[in-house]
Amino acid sequence: MKPLSILGWSCVALAGAAAIGRLALSRGETVSAAWLLVAALATYAVAYRFYSKFIAAKVFALEATRRTPAQRLDDGRDYVPTNRWVVFGHHFAAIAGPGPLVGPTLAAQFGFLPGALWIIIGVALGGAVQDFVILAASVRRDGKSLGRMATEEIGPVAGATALLAVLGIMIVLISVLALVIVNALRSSPWGTVTIGLTIPIALLMGVYLRWLRPGRVLEASAIGLVLLAVALYAGRWVAQAPDLAPLFTLSGTTLALLVMAYGFAASVLPVWLLLAPRDYLSAFVKIGVVLALALGILFVLPPLQMPALTRFTDGTGPVFAGKVFPFAFITIACGAISGFHSLVASGTTPKLLERETDARLVGYGAMLMESFVAVMALIAACVLTPGVYFAINAPAGAIGTTAESAAQAIAQWGFTVTPETLTSLASQVGESSLLSRVGGAPSLAVGMAHIFSSALGGSGAMALWYHFAIMFEALFILTTLDAGTRVGRFVLQDMGRHLWAPFGRVSWYPAVVTASALFVAMWGYFLYQGVLDPLGGINSLWPLFGISNQLLGAVALCVGTTVIINSGRARHAWVTMLPLSWLAVVTLTAGWQKVLSPNPTLGFLAKASALAHGLATGVLPAGRSASEVRRMIFNERLDAAVATTFMLAIIVVMVASAMKWVAVLRGRVPARSTEVPADYGAEVRVAMAGD
Amino acid sequence: MAAVHLTLARCVAVLRAIIGVPDYSGYLAHMRRNHPGAPLLSPAELLARRQHDRFERPGGKCC
Repeated sequence: MKPLSILGWSCVALAGAAAIGRLALSRGETVSAAWLLVAALATYAVAYRFYSKFIAAKVFALEATRRTPAQRLDDGRDYVPTNRWVVFGHHFAAIAGPGPLVGPTLAAQFGFLPGALWIIIGVALGGAVQDFVILAASVRRDGKSLGRMATEEIGPVAGATALLAVLGIMIVLISVLALVIVNALRSSPWGTVTIGLTIPIALLMGVYLRWLRPGRVLEASAIGLVLLAVALYAGRWVAQAPDLAPLFTLSGTTLALLVMAYGFAASVLPVWLLLAPRDYLSAFVKIGVVLALALGILFVLPPLQMPALTRFTDGTGPVFAGKVFPFAFITIACGAISGFHSLVASGTTPKLLERETDARLVGYGAMLMESFVAVMALIAACVLTPGVYFAINAPAGAIGTTAESAAQAIAQWGFTVTPETLTSLASQVGESSLLSRVGGAPSLAVGMAHIFSSALGGSGAMALWYHFAIMFEALFILTTLDAGTRVGRFVLQDMGRHLWAPFGRVSWYPAVVTASALFVAMWGYFLYQGVLDPLGGINSLWPLFGISNQLLGAVALCVGTTVIINSGRARHAWVTMLPLSWLAVVTLTAGWQKVLSPNPTLGFLAKASALAHGLATGVLPAGRSASEVRRMIFNERLDAAVATTFMLAIIVVMVASAMKWVAVLRGRVPARSTEVPADYGAEVRVAMAGD
Repeated sequence: MAAVHLTLARCVAVLRAIIGVPDYSGYLAHMRRNHPGAPLLSPAELLARRQHDRFERPGGKCC
């Protein structure tokens, strides 16, 4: 390195360290969001410049001249050599979902510091490493999927466990995201109409692309985006019309059934009609709003009202139960490390890379970008005063159902908020109430509306910005939900094929309808029970999602470690073993506590026995019948069984991998790489011969 | 003027690639280069093919 460059990078590193110090040492005064931005951006820059370069050069020895699958297998369809910035955009649009928005918002109950540190450090050493390693491994193996690599590198047991893990995660993921939507739209005619209209808009785009102007995707998307703006105003008009508003003021259970119907429709209808056009709209809205939020935060540089640490680090928090360790690391999955990305990184992306070395920008870089989205979500949640944040995110079981009871409960936690503040904020954003809108989406929307309206439009525009943010989050979530349901249907059909061959036919309607209904019923069950849950459902479902996502992360890192060891570079295996051991510790500790903690607000089984005890002695929770309590007991035990299954799966994969590593390192099994042999193409060989 | 046109075309190509629908002209160039003489898909057929590839089989779509 040149002296000037050393000086420059030292400054960046010092700025980052100073910002992290400023955040960590703040006590009792508000801190500007600028510090969080500097801490994040400086860490990303240093990590990208040095750590990802080290991984590219030493762990994989990526070579710009070695031909990629896209070049060798170019078929114009799956395998297409593509410019790295385009692959970056495509990969980012595929990995970034609602996860990095919701997790940090929920974890803000501990204060901004635990979430901020985990997002910034976790991504540099964990999440971005995982995505990069899996992408590089897949590029060297003709774009093979994670499941295939697990089977080939570790063994068939690990491969089968990985497949089962994917199915389990999708069920939990879809149900919890659907619950976030339902909680955001409950008794909100404006939100319901705006989100509801996005479905006919997508259908219209589908018809336009199929018959009116075939293939003109950008035209159709532009029309769709204009219509989305119309839908935003139409929602307001309906909400203000006294005779129409009650028609669209729906209960949680009705919305849950509607979301299930939507998921089913998206899975059985032809993709060109609903799924694809929605995906296009969502991709553009996603990228546009993320950029706008970044500009908004830079322009406003809002102070963080949330303290660095709250008293709820002791595990008594109302948003979700459990101490800061391990639950901050479970709650924030996407943004720090997300196992789900390993499916994308071993799916379409490796088939598009023009040069092996592009894997660094696409794999490591796109994950840094997603981490930045998580940082922005954390900022948006923390610009709210803690009183408002807890009023929106604490379940009715903790704060009651009136502004007065909420203000009182929150005062007991040591935060001040007046009932008038709560009611006036609700009317400012055009809602009847914001209390107990658990799930993260509404409080994030209030935070975003706050930032956007400070930059543009003033407080008069709060209501429009709020519903715009809700629409943005709902689009995000519904595209994960519909595509996920369809994928779940394929997985079920693929599994059912072994029992009865015709069930596997992806275009045979009876099989399509049955598999779709079955998969919707699976996530629909968890969704519906979550809606009925007096503690809001997010409380028990989000930790399950976190555990399952981190489980897939552990599987991916096991595959990565095995790939590194099998290719004879065991001395660099710490790169993946470091995040792997951390994930194993937090996931297993969290799972253990969720299942076995004697505290009924935390442990599933303790809650079940507390309810059973109440049932036996005739002391039922307020307003619940005996049959409802029996159902709640069953659900707690079901959640415990699901968490136990996830933990067993992690252990199986880790033990299988560890046995393989020991065998290779002891020399009992030869270190055999499954990489496709290097090919430098004719031009390079000629050039080298001429030297 | 030509530069503006080129920039615009590039932006269009990037936007289309992000949603997984490559440019039709890029497809034609690819076919001429790699599969000369092979039958060509119309823009609508190409779009249908891309949508099928992207959504009709298990693949990654994240949280």
